[in-house]
Amino acid sequence: MSYLISEAAQDLLGDVKDFCENEVKEPCKEFDRSGEWPKEIYDQAIEMQLQTLEVPEEYGGPGLSRVDVAALFEEMAKADAGFATTISASGLGMKPVLIAGNEAQKKRACQLIMDGGFGAFCLTEPGAGSDASAGKTTAVKDGDSYILNGRKCFITNGGVASFYCVTAMTDKSAGVKGMSMFFIEAGTPGLSTGHEEDKMGIRTSNTCDVVLDDCRIPASNLLGAEGQGFTIAMKTLDQARAWMGCIATGIAQRAMEEAIAYGKERVQFGKPILKNQALQFKVADMAIKIETARQMVAHALTLMDQGLPCSKESAIAKCYASDIAMEVASEAIQMFGGYGYSREYPVEKLLRDAKIFQIFEGTNEVQRIVVANNTIGKF
Amino acid sequence: MEILVCLKQVPDDSVEIHLKPGTEEVNLDGVTPVVNAFDTYALEMATRLKEAVGGSITAITVGPEKARDAVKTCLAVGANQGYVISDPTFEDADTLGRSKILAAAIRKLEADAGKPFDLIFCGREATDRASGQLGPQLAEALGTGVIVDLVDIEQTDAGICAKQETEEGYRKVESALPCVVTVNKPAYDPRYPTIKSKMAARKMAIPVLSAADLDSVEPGKPTAHVVKVFEPAKRQAGVKINEETAAESAIKAVDMMAAAKLL
Repeated sequence: MSYLISEAAQDLLGDVKDFCENEVKEPCKEFDRSGEWPKEIYDQAIEMQLQTLEVPEEYGGPGLSRVDVAALFEEMAKADAGFATTISASGLGMKPVLIAGNEAQKKRACQLIMDGGFGAFCLTEPGAGSDASAGKTTAVKDGDSYILNGRKCFITNGGVASFYCVTAMTDKSAGVKGMSMFFIEAGTPGLSTGHEEDKMGIRTSNTCDVVLDDCRIPASNLLGAEGQGFTIAMKTLDQARAWMGCIATGIAQRAMEEAIAYGKERVQFGKPILKNQALQFKVADMAIKIETARQMVAHALTLMDQGLPCSKESAIAKCYASDIAMEVASEAIQMFGGYGYSREYPVEKLLRDAKIFQIFEGTNEVQRIVVANNTIGKF
Repeated sequence: MEILVCLKQVPDDSVEIHLKPGTEEVNLDGVTPVVNAFDTYALEMATRLKEAVGGSITAITVGPEKARDAVKTCLAVGANQGYVISDPTFEDADTLGRSKILAAAIRKLEADAGKPFDLIFCGREATDRASGQLGPQLAEALGTGVIVDLVDIEQTDAGICAKQETEEGYRKVESALPCVVTVNKPAYDPRYPTIKSKMAARKMAIPVLSAADLDSVEPGKPTAHVVKVFEPAKRQAGVKINEETAAESAIKAVDMMAAAKLL
């Protein structure tokens, strides 16, 4: 089973599959070891325009449904979750503009992506993780400009983006209502990148600090109005979460496929180990979880396509898919036995890659808060 | 430069295929049709030439209507327009017959466009039947020269200069135009389609030409007859020679070959 997708997406799926199989999967093994950002692979991906999948049709994108795009992202995630994260985080960086930007801002952000750039979303700060409202970055109006100061951390694509959507406090006394969202292009004086994370997984994705030091931007780079930053950020995450569920599902799918292939080959007690019903049941449980996660992702994305509320569904998709990605990757290692624990085999990487999906874009604890609030309501 | 690329849709050659048990029928259930690999090399070479000197590429295939997918694939990676040549009377045509059909189609396209093709690209062979005859037969039918097994090509004042791969190495061959060339695996891989080119290719019309659209094409009865279809024999396990030293292993290997009267 898989996503139900259009004929156009099926056509693209074959090409993306070929590309990921030939150019991404094997080389990324080595980049997982070195931690180097594989520029050549991303250059090829940009040549194929994979970063444009989420760009709306009116701004030059391919005009696919979100479920269509999910099928393509899952294929990328199966090859390498870090690769898929880079591509998807670029869409994340673009979302605040699409949600709150004016026509000129939308055109500019989409053009940067169409021209081969990546986007980055800058919300998290050293003292503001799950409590995003505790951000200390400031934006002070100065004539026709804003001057931003502060430090953002754990920014996916931080070191490689063409533009950034940054939250900053325009009115510290107003709490979350004093937060605003700004569009900043790479190369703007005062914007630099700092510490690069040496991560446990998704090592082919770039994660670093983004530092704003008297960074002056035109006042017209404000997205929406002053004070709307927190709402825009939450709407952005509402949408983005389902995509993280999609990539986590891809990791789980890869883990299951690896486990099945190994289980058919590995002979113990005179027969392939997958002849044992105990292991067949493991695979069945993997398939049940993966398919459930995938269809939850599809449901959240379909709601989004139809412009319907999707906070709860998006949170369920992200939370459930990342939880089961951990479980499935762990069970895949179990089926590989000692070899599964070895870096020579592919499954230990999947566990390392899966873990972050329980953490970023809202920890799974935060997802449960979202689900609980949307289920219980105010009382 | 007006370029034509001939292509063939074949079963995916990365999949191991077998005969249906007890028959001489190849089991292609579940095997995806793809563009013949050598034809994708030909298209890539043609596209690079077009990018260097300008011009247009037309892709054509003789086959069932569903071979349109193969043409569509090519429209996403360099071809500007494409046609399927399809007719029930063409189904039994062998390579010679297909070359006659292609020649008739080429004449028809040239007449419609009011200009001839300068260069006609084919793959060196198809990965399904691997006869390797189509290019030379097509050149014969069109009355042009032919250069086979190209790995590179460039335009010259007089026509083209081609780098031909031979058993011993390479040979440079020049030709005036028009000319037919067949392409071997060059030093580069075919490009991937872009999202945009793929979406654009989906929207392009791919006309189907039938026998009625062509001038008096007569593919003729197949001149080659299939005697038997069978699977290649399984390779027998080899002999491992692992003596104390490499020199002793070499001596033993030579002795064994001498004993088997191979030397």
